[in-house]
Amino acid sequence: MKFKTFAAFVAPSLFMMLLFIAAPLVLVFVESFYQTNPRMEAVSVESCTPGFGTQTCTTQTKIQPALDASGHQVMETQFVGLDSYRAVLEPQKLWDSLRTLDWNGIMQIDFWKALQFTLLFTFVTLPLVLLLGLGLALAVNNLTKSLRGPVIFVSLLPFIITPVIGALSIRWLFVGDGILTRAMEHFSGTDISMFAQTWTIEILMMFYRVWSNAPFAFIILYAGLQGVNQDAVEAAMIDGASRWQRLRYIIVPYLMPLITFVALIHLMDAYRVFDEVVGLRTQGHVISLQYLTYQFLMPDVSGNRSISRAEASSMLTLIGIVLLLIPMLRRTWADQKGRAQ
Amino acid sequence: MYLRKIALAGAIALMGSSAMAACAFQNTVPLKMLSAGFEAWKSATGAMAECGNFTAELDQDFGKKQPEAFAANPSLYQIGGVSNGEITPLMNAGTIRPLDDLVAKYGQNLQPNQLIKIDGHIMAIAMQVNTQHLMYRKDIFDKLGIAVPTTYDELLAAAEKIKAAKVVDYPLGATMGVGWNLGEEVNNMFLGFGGQPVNPDGTPNVNNEMGLKTLDMLKKLTAYEDPEYLTSDSTYVQQQFQQGKIAMANLWASRAGAMDDPKESKVVGMIEGAPAPAAMAGGKPATTLWWDGIVIAKNITDEEADAAFRVAMEGLDTEMVTAHNTDSVWLIKGYVPGRLAAGAFATAALNPPPYPSTSAMGVMHMAMDGEVGAFLKGERSAADTLVAIEANYTKGAKDAGILK
Amino acid sequence: MTTWLARRQPFSLRTMSALFLTLWCLIAAFPIFWITVMSVKMPLDAFAASPWDVIWGPSTLAEGKGLSVLDILATLGLLCATGWLATRRLPRWVAAFSPLGFSALGWLIAAAGLALGFGVVGVVILPAIVGGLDSALGLHPILGLTTEHYRAIWVEHAFWHNFLNSVKVTLGVTAISLTVGTLAGYALARSGSKLAFWILIAALIFRALPHSVLVTGYLPIFINSAAILRPILGDAAPTLYGQPLAVIMVLVAINQPFTIWMLRSFFHNIPADLDEAARVDGCTHFQAFRWVIMPVMWPGVITTGLFSFLLGYNDFLVTSLLLDASNQTMVPAIAGFFNRETTMTDQVEAIAAAVSITAPLFLLVMVFQRQIVSGLTAGAVKG
Repeated sequence: MKFKTFAAFVAPSLFMMLLFIAAPLVLVFVESFYQTNPRMEAVSVESCTPGFGTQTCTTQTKIQPALDASGHQVMETQFVGLDSYRAVLEPQKLWDSLRTLDWNGIMQIDFWKALQFTLLFTFVTLPLVLLLGLGLALAVNNLTKSLRGPVIFVSLLPFIITPVIGALSIRWLFVGDGILTRAMEHFSGTDISMFAQTWTIEILMMFYRVWSNAPFAFIILYAGLQGVNQDAVEAAMIDGASRWQRLRYIIVPYLMPLITFVALIHLMDAYRVFDEVVGLRTQGHVISLQYLTYQFLMPDVSGNRSISRAEASSMLTLIGIVLLLIPMLRRTWADQKGRAQ
Repeated sequence: MYLRKIALAGAIALMGSSAMAACAFQNTVPLKMLSAGFEAWKSATGAMAECGNFTAELDQDFGKKQPEAFAANPSLYQIGGVSNGEITPLMNAGTIRPLDDLVAKYGQNLQPNQLIKIDGHIMAIAMQVNTQHLMYRKDIFDKLGIAVPTTYDELLAAAEKIKAAKVVDYPLGATMGVGWNLGEEVNNMFLGFGGQPVNPDGTPNVNNEMGLKTLDMLKKLTAYEDPEYLTSDSTYVQQQFQQGKIAMANLWASRAGAMDDPKESKVVGMIEGAPAPAAMAGGKPATTLWWDGIVIAKNITDEEADAAFRVAMEGLDTEMVTAHNTDSVWLIKGYVPGRLAAGAFATAALNPPPYPSTSAMGVMHMAMDGEVGAFLKGERSAADTLVAIEANYTKGAKDAGILK
Repeated sequence: MTTWLARRQPFSLRTMSALFLTLWCLIAAFPIFWITVMSVKMPLDAFAASPWDVIWGPSTLAEGKGLSVLDILATLGLLCATGWLATRRLPRWVAAFSPLGFSALGWLIAAAGLALGFGVVGVVILPAIVGGLDSALGLHPILGLTTEHYRAIWVEHAFWHNFLNSVKVTLGVTAISLTVGTLAGYALARSGSKLAFWILIAALIFRALPHSVLVTGYLPIFINSAAILRPILGDAAPTLYGQPLAVIMVLVAINQPFTIWMLRSFFHNIPADLDEAARVDGCTHFQAFRWVIMPVMWPGVITTGLFSFLLGYNDFLVTSLLLDASNQTMVPAIAGFFNRETTMTDQVEAIAAAVSITAPLFLLVMVFQRQIVSGLTAGAVKG
């Protein structure tokens, strides 16, 4: 294919990705070395607020942004180098905790706490999703033809349901005396509060993610199973290979590219875990890296944001995912090289 | 049978929706409003919509986009609903207009109490006041012979008795969810102990005796609360009240009305209100006073501002209040305080401080909110937590330009 | 014969496999089943302490709102009939009647027709007949059920407005994603150049980005776009904030990496000889693409389109931040219902809304399920 034709075909897609993904990314990267904030001044202001029946007026000194002649805030930008990164990573605190082997101390720093959970979440759910997906694919493949349709339909439900809604419904089932909590209390005979401690919340979050993502793995792997070479399977059977050996040496290797694909997608999605934190309202116990960025970006009641820290934390999050993806990228690289020749 | 009912109802609603009623004039200027979404706003914006050409966006997360939306030129919304917290960024950016002229022109029916004056100008029109105060199950208190607590120490004693009697799941409801509520609780208690979280020069001031007392008291309270307190907000506490799972809570006055709703509540008529308890004997109630009201954007034409103000006045009139009397503690003429509003009035009579509308308070609020959870869970000592709050505040204040 | 014997699985394995699937189906369907049950009860029942109260709804029944035996049978019958139509009949009709090469369009019309038919029969025809029979036979309700929350959501809260916005955004995202994506996917599959490789790797990294970073970066720019673009476009400069088209573009961009990777592997499985033969016959690259490749690509396009559809339909972060009230889609609208300082009634209404937005997805999967599997089998999963 000539370069010109290639460019014409790719241009619209590339343009959109550059405009809406790459450009903001570069902007965030550059801005993370700067800090911008309004110039503040201390003024004495009388303000009156209503009570019941009468007003209370107080005069107090407030520190508030200075406005210029046209009524706009005066913004000041300065180069701060790695200060924002330092504010997020808190290397001094980290080092102190590391020296005294104080794990709890590290977990008091938001970034490391979020990183710890994000990695735990990613690597616990990954094998569970793959195993459950493969198990379902094999089981459905065993089923009589007439039953396959309905089972596939029901299996896909957790995947298609809107994530925010899905997480909320899981919350209803478990929060307080939610029906499933009560069922567990009934069987165990003890008082259970799923949202009272960190580890149960973490289990719920992972359960939700496996519940909602296993169907994706299932449907891809099930489709893959339809293409397994039956001759090879039969040849193996004639050689006396057991069911397990057939699975281990013929089916799984055949599905390997698909398993890698599902793993790659899951790795990316799990690493940016966010819906669970919002939907299950876990921020009192558990936060993730993407939630941390979101938290810095969201204005507080008075409209203050920590933009520079948000930029630093999003760049750090990005570095993290690139590091995680490197093994996968190298594989793709080799694959592509092979194909190009 | 049921299916026919919906079909019928749909047809009726379609016929009914075109009718405009109860607005003194026909509004022709397209207007948009952005505000929070609690019951009082639903009632007020419903009344404004009767004037026509008006859409309201009720969103509990409205604070995330309101400052930017009002800073745009022209402003994306003409009317904003704010509390004494959310007015701060709008004032800071100078994106709302003084209302003195408009009040003179159209505000004949306003009470002087409703005019929010900042630096001599009317900047907002308040419609309701809100405060957290004690709500309790009168039947339980009577049965166990408990007097209504006036301090938090008495409240702890009462909670102990209720716990021992095992009449409810948890003696105390907790609005301690991390995100905003916990910061509010910490701030209330800290003010109650006579603290002032931020110095006039913008430096933090929580690492002191009052801070230690605050944390100690909050920790003691959690012993009587649902163990899921760090995820529990006022909607959840309201529901626990309605289902008879808790015996008392320091809850928002705007929530009181729902206690007597027979469709939802199993405790109709059993809840009474009382002043928020004081943190220390002889102190003011450990709570803050809030107001909610409307502001008008600056970056719009004068005609739009004129129409917007008139529509807003139609929404905040006596007719609306009469129709929705129990939704809130209204400041509007014609409001008749009901049984459940008594607690709010009694609280206000004791003069708790208004929630401070400052940039620094916003940062401090979130610093408290973010750091105290670790203490309550037992992961960190009280002294370390106070240091952490100050460190967290200092970072945020530097980002906001409050501290250099 | 021997292979058949060898393939026959031991009884224990078959039982295990059946048990495993049954358990999974229960877990998969339960939360959705449960919120559906909650949505048709009065608040006191919906949040009742005992699960039986939630299912039977005594206080809902006490208000005289419920289903008789006949009502229940009629409802079940309707659901079964719809399922049967969607999975058995519809594929045949679509195959028979859709214009050549436009089976996607045929499917779209068929799905919309099915939804419409379901609505008309379920809301108008059936209630009239069954209601008449009920009163004629003197049957009393036995199962507490009320549709008032659905009415409140759809009529009083004008949820249909959000529904239309969702339709607009979702169709926009799907259509533009696929148009732009097939072009790029084709070129990337046919080109072995270094550039193609790097584009794919970059797309992979873009796919991994946390969305909140991007989206919050857009907010100030979108809100002030009129002022920013004025020097270039003059007075015609639009405010992008609140514009469905702007949100569609953002979602398309976010979705591009996945779309081009997926479509690229579909194109890989179409022999390159096919378009080369067309080119020898004098077609340009684009003509070869349009007239030779596209007709055999429909399974891939449908499968990829479904993923785009899900992304557009389910998105919360982008739509909640960048759309205003008049253009709000369903998901942020529901989140808004929940986030209000709610009463229990509001919450049950929000649950009814949540069930309502799941219904179209239900229908979609029912109709397209075979296409997903066959599409994936035919293409993507081999590359």
